[in-house]
Amino acid sequence: MAVETEESMLVRVQRENFSIDEELTRVRSRSSRIGGIAMFLGTARDRSKGRDVSAMTFEHYEGMAQKKLKEIREQALRDFDIIEALVLHRYGPIEIGENIVLIIVGAEHRADAFKACQWCIDELKKITPIWKMEYTPEGEVWVEEHP
Amino acid sequence: MLKVRLFGMLKTLVPGGKELELALPSGTQVKDLVDALHAQYPQLGELLLQKKVLVSVNQEIAHWDTALIEQDEIALLPPFAGGA
Repeated sequence: MAVETEESMLVRVQRENFSIDEELTRVRSRSSRIGGIAMFLGTARDRSKGRDVSAMTFEHYEGMAQKKLKEIREQALRDFDIIEALVLHRYGPIEIGENIVLIIVGAEHRADAFKACQWCIDELKKITPIWKMEYTPEGEVWVEEHP
Repeated sequence: MLKVRLFGMLKTLVPGGKELELALPSGTQVKDLVDALHAQYPQLGELLLQKKVLVSVNQEIAHWDTALIEQDEIALLPPFAGGA
């Protein structure tokens, strides 16, 4: 499969869904030395803090969100023994069961791929200016509305 | 005049929503901005003082003594909730 592999494609914030197959191909085509790939896919669940959730919307800070995802990828490449990392997050309205976030890490060996993948998603949650509004029977709720 | 962008739940705390304008001179520090916001919007001010809401300047998290000029891109960031 021919897939674009510019660096800008490895860090994206986008409204539309993504193809996991295409993104996986994008990462593995970066190097034939990759021998282990770890992936985290976050999807929209129908329950949150004891409430039913019927849909959600993600808001992001355009520019800063991309900048932080880029920093995460670059730091992961520096701090872990990995070959490539891809970080994608969607924004806008998302239905239950849909994809939200994707991290794919390619390394020579599995241990580094797993470790870096977990670090990337943890760090994304910490430093990336993205917010979630959930639609519940009680109305629209910003997650962490009472921070 | 400083313009301040609001995100997430903060838009529900401030009438009119997405952006605030504050008549503060260039050279004002972030802490002065927080004081001015606290005076006008006490609930928002409390969140800022407790550092539950962060201030960013030109897309980087700012400190209390960061000086502000009119051209700066200033934003208030409630706790992040990306991921799944």
